[in-house]
Amino acid sequence: MGLQSVLPTATRPSPLRCNVMKTCPLISVAAALLSGAAILSANLSFAGSCCGGGSATTLNVPKYAKAVADLSFEMEKYDGFWNQDGVHIKDPPGSDLNQYRMIAGVGYRLAQNWQASISVPYVWNDNKYSGVSSNTRDLGDTTVSLLYELHDDPSAWKVREAADLIPGVTIGASLLLPTGVSPYDSVTSSFDVTGRGFYRLDGNLLLEKTLQPFNASIALSYGTYFERSVNREYGKYVEPYRKSLGDRASASGSLGYTYVMGSGGDSIGASINYAFLHEDDSKYSGKTYDNSGFAKQSFGAALTYANVDSDWSLRAGWNHGIQSKGWGRNFPTTDIFSMGVRYVFH
Amino acid sequence: MFFTKMALFAALLFSITACGDNLFPSGSDKRAPVVSGSTGSAVGQNAADFSVSDINNSTVTLASSLSGRKGAVFYFTMWCPICDGHMSSLRSAVAPGFPDVGFYLVDYVSGTVTDAASAAAANGYSGGMFAILADTSHSLQNSFQATMGTTVLVDKSGIIKMNEDYRDGTRLLAELNRL
Repeated sequence: MGLQSVLPTATRPSPLRCNVMKTCPLISVAAALLSGAAILSANLSFAGSCCGGGSATTLNVPKYAKAVADLSFEMEKYDGFWNQDGVHIKDPPGSDLNQYRMIAGVGYRLAQNWQASISVPYVWNDNKYSGVSSNTRDLGDTTVSLLYELHDDPSAWKVREAADLIPGVTIGASLLLPTGVSPYDSVTSSFDVTGRGFYRLDGNLLLEKTLQPFNASIALSYGTYFERSVNREYGKYVEPYRKSLGDRASASGSLGYTYVMGSGGDSIGASINYAFLHEDDSKYSGKTYDNSGFAKQSFGAALTYANVDSDWSLRAGWNHGIQSKGWGRNFPTTDIFSMGVRYVFH
Repeated sequence: MFFTKMALFAALLFSITACGDNLFPSGSDKRAPVVSGSTGSAVGQNAADFSVSDINNSTVTLASSLSGRKGAVFYFTMWCPICDGHMSSLRSAVAPGFPDVGFYLVDYVSGTVTDAASAAAANGYSGGMFAILADTSHSLQNSFQATMGTTVLVDKSGIIKMNEDYRDGTRLLAELNRL
């Protein structure tokens, strides 16, 4: 099972017009593509309680399938954060901070090795502190992706030659569209935020290897946000300035096992995974703001049930941020619980 | 057929991108003109008076926060990672250079002074150069239209000199130097 099945994404892009942005997006696009990888999935979700959420998941259309449709529900529970020194700090007394996401996605095979997908999240922020509570919802940031399958994994049952060990390789690009509610929209509170307000282009690389009944995958991505103008903060108009978020890198790996029930019947897959996410410091009008970037490491596990034809599948997953020093920086520690259903069109 | 599919995909993209003004950000200055002498939250207006308890149960008012000082800075925190970064910057790079300015962290999410004190202690801000205000009635938050990261600078005459996100602290430093 690919990581994209279980790990949420957080993203947000910027306008594709050079006259709007200080940095021509085409240059940024090229830089992102050349720099290698943004992944087909495994970016981690950004804070919902304080920093905006909105996640989406890119989809993979299985080989020899026409399309895939996916619907998932995620609950992200916030439980403190890592500060600048990586020390875990508890949330204020009496707080209960949650973000819920319903993510609809469709992937379509454009040609033998080409596929495109779109994922649209709908986000609920449910935040309670001892002195204030808030419940808001809106569209999150949307992800569109274009993928190319560079090499297919034969999914061998037995290694007969060295070539059987070559993994499947997929490369691609994802564009995050700031369709969510950001701090720069007409909102009055940080609790209303469902997106980050920036376009981002990711280059993706996915390596997958199946030696039945085991499978493994590695997902890498590197993304760059496009600088944008800001003239409003939480509804208040301010003196205009330009802002850019730092480049984002993520890596994740998973190990899985698939058990086929009966003689070639339905199957159950189990996997464990690890994910790393890093975002560089932000820039204000070209000047770097030190210590504004963040990092997060997390572990997860997932279960998948697929019918005999593998056209229908159900999944459940859990992702956990370690609440100890050194496992993250400047980022909330969360647990993400997810459930999803997927249908593959042949 | 291929082009039909691509056209449909493009139409779907367009329909999604038709929402939200983040898609085409504006860089134009849309700040409304301020009537001199009026009271409000905008830069140039007089700050409204307030009366809020700090975590030591002492009452802080606008007048007391400005008494004997060049001004006062109010930073609104919900004890989050971004807030932590801003407060750390305030503590290390801003406040030490302005001993004649009052620096206040405004906790607008805790419902009691006790909760505010606990949150401040957990985040390492229970003492030192900052006074922690427990804005349990949200009076400060409402009068400054503040949220997470909002940084307000009021000069000694009670006029708001800055009311915006902390960002990287550059703007605050510039305004403090103008006091």
